Amino acid sequence: MNTVIKVEKLVKEYKGLTAVKGISFEVKKGEIFGLLGENGAGKTTTLEMIEGLRKPTSGEISVLGHNVRNEISEIKERIGVQLQSSAYYNYLTLKEILSLFGSFYTESLDPDDLLKMVDLEEKAGATVNNLSGGQKQRFSIVASLVNDPEIVFLDEPTTGLDPMARRNLWDIITKIKAKGKTIILTTHYLEEAEMLCDRIAIMEKGEILMMGKTHELIESTKNPFKTTFIATSLSKETLKELEGLGEVNELAGKSHHFEMMLKTQVNLNKAIKIVQKLEPESITVGRSTLEDLFIELTGKRIGGE
Amino acid sequence: MKKLLLADIKMLLRSKQTLFWSLMFPLMFTFIFGSFFGKGNNSVGTVALINESNTELAKSFDKAARDSGIFTIKDDINVEEAKKLIGKDQLSGAIVIPKGFGEQKPDAPKNIKVVYDPAGQAGRTLIGFTNQFLTAANLEIQQAKPIFSVEEEKTNTKQFGYFDFILMGLIGMALMNSSIQGMSIAMSKYREDKILKRLTTTPLKVWHFIAAEVTSRLLVNVIQVTLILLVGFYMFDAHINGSIFLIYVLALLGALLFQSIGFVIAGLSKTTNAAEGMSTAIAIPMMFLSGVFFPIDQLPKWLYSIVQYLPLAPLLRTMRSVALEDASPFANPSNLILVIVWVVAALIIAAYKFRLADE
Repeated sequence: MNTVIKVEKLVKEYKGLTAVKGISFEVKKGEIFGLLGENGAGKTTTLEMIEGLRKPTSGEISVLGHNVRNEISEIKERIGVQLQSSAYYNYLTLKEILSLFGSFYTESLDPDDLLKMVDLEEKAGATVNNLSGGQKQRFSIVASLVNDPEIVFLDEPTTGLDPMARRNLWDIITKIKAKGKTIILTTHYLEEAEMLCDRIAIMEKGEILMMGKTHELIESTKNPFKTTFIATSLSKETLKELEGLGEVNELAGKSHHFEMMLKTQVNLNKAIKIVQKLEPESITVGRSTLEDLFIELTGKRIGGE
Repeated sequence: MKKLLLADIKMLLRSKQTLFWSLMFPLMFTFIFGSFFGKGNNSVGTVALINESNTELAKSFDKAARDSGIFTIKDDINVEEAKKLIGKDQLSGAIVIPKGFGEQKPDAPKNIKVVYDPAGQAGRTLIGFTNQFLTAANLEIQQAKPIFSVEEEKTNTKQFGYFDFILMGLIGMALMNSSIQGMSIAMSKYREDKILKRLTTTPLKVWHFIAAEVTSRLLVNVIQVTLILLVGFYMFDAHINGSIFLIYVLALLGALLFQSIGFVIAGLSKTTNAAEGMSTAIAIPMMFLSGVFFPIDQLPKWLYSIVQYLPLAPLLRTMRSVALEDASPFANPSNLILVIVWVVAALIIAAYKFRLADE
C-alpha cells in the first residue's frame, strides 16, 4: 500500500514546553489511522503540523509526496480538515457555506449531494446555530469533504456527543473510508479507536508509546484474557488461588464485583472452574480491550471528558 | 473571490447588529440633530414676550424680536406663568415690557425686564438682543450717531449652519463606529470560533479574504453615507457646498483608516469581549474629542494640542473644508497627510499583530 503521510522525528517546542517529542509514523492510503491519547498528549498539535497550520520546530512531514514546509498550497487542495470545536459563519445557510468553501478550491462537490451524505438535506436552508450538537459535527465533517479530498483529518470528531450521535458519526466515517479516502483522526475514546481505526498510535506527553494494527496491539497485552464475575462468597483462600492464575481486581464502586486479567487460555479455563464453584450471580468471559492496554501502558485510565 | 465578496455582503446585511449600528444608529443621530438644528433653525429657544405697553417704542421692540429669528415667541401668558414654565425648562426666558414703557412722561418706566434661568443657554442672547435694541433707541432719542461700530468680514462666503457642520461629524462618527467596532469584533469572533483557522486549512489566500472583508464593508459605508446625506438634504435642508464625489472619496479613505484600526484591535485582543471593550474605549472618547458635535478648538489648549491629531479629527477637518467651504482637500495638506500617516501606521501594526490563527 502507498504511504500518503510520512512523519519523521517531528518536534514542536513552545516556550518552556515540548508538546511533541520527535515522533515518527506513516499513514497508508485508504486506512483509518488513529492518534489516541489524553487531552494534552500532543495529538492536535501533531495533526495541525501535518495540516500546515503550525510550524514544526524540527522534523520532516510529507503529505501525498509534497513537503509541508514549502509545498503546502498543493497539499491544501487535496486534503480536507475538520478542526476540533470549530464554528462556521452564523449568517450563511449550510448550503451557502458549502458552496462558499467549495469556491476556495479548483474543484468541488455539489453542496446538495454533500448534505444528503450526512442526512442534512432538510437543513440546507438553516444556519449552523439551528443545528443540534450531532448535526453540527456532521456538518463540520461534511464541510471538510467539499474538495473531494484524498486525505481527511478529523480532530476529535465525536467529543461531547451522546452515544447515539456518536454511533451515527462512526457510520459516516466508515462511509468516507468506503469511498477510498484515507482518514487520520484523533480521539480520547478508546472504544472509538478500537471500533474505527485500522491502525493506531497511542500518545502520551508528546511521545508515541505504541503503534500498530489495532487488533495486534490488543493481542500484545501482557494479559489478553479477561473474565468478570459477581460473587458474594469469595473466601480469602479462593482469592489467593485465583491470584496465582492472574491479576484479580475488585472493581471500585460496586461490591463483590471482580475483574480478572490472565496471560493464557489454560489459566482462564482454570479460573472459570474455580469461580463457577462459588455459584456466581454473573460471569462473563472475554478478551482484553484497548482500554486494558492503555491502562497497562500508562498506569491509568483515560480521562472521560 | 467574487463568491466570497458576495457572501460577506450577504452576511453583513443579514446581521441585525450591523444594520443597527452602521445604519439605524447614525440615522437616529441625524434625525435628532436635524430636528434641533436643521432647516436653518438658529433659534435659541422659546421666549415669552409680555408687552403691557402700547407705545411706538414698545411696538417696534415687539416687531424686532419677532423678526430676529433668534428665538420663538410665545404670547398670551403672564409673568407668573412664564416664571413657572422657565422653572420647568419649558420656556427659555421671558421679556417683560412694563405698562407705560416708552411714554414721554418723566415717571414712565425706563426698563425692559428680562427673566431667565442662569443655568440655561438663552439668557445671554436675550440680554444681548435687548441691550442692542435699547442702545439704538437711546442713540435715536438723543439724535446721536454711533461713533464706533463693528465691521464684519466673513472668512468664508458660503452659507452653512450648525447642522451642516454636524452632518459631516455624523458621517465621520458613523464610519468610525461601524468600521472600528464592526471589523474588530467580527475578526476576533471569527478567530474565537476558529473560522479563521478553518479558512487557513483551505487554499484561500489571506489577502483575498481580507480584500473581500474590506470591500464588503466599504459598500455598507457607501450606503451609510448616502442615507445620512439623503436624510440631511431632504428632511432637514442641509447644504453641501463642495463636491459630493470628494466627500465619498474622503469617507471611504476614513473607512479604510478605521477598518485598519479594527484589525489592530483584533490583533491585540485575545477575546471578542476584549475587542468589544477596546473598540468602545477608543471610539467613544474619539467621538467627543475629534469634533463630531462641536469644534474642538473650544477645548483647553493642552487638550486640543493632543486631540487634534486623533485619526478622526484631521478627517473631519478635511471633509468639512470640502463640504462647507468647497475647498480642495489639498488646500491644507497637513490634514490629509495626517490621515494617510494613520492609515499606514495602523496597517503596519495590523500586519505585525493580526494573525488568522495562532502558531
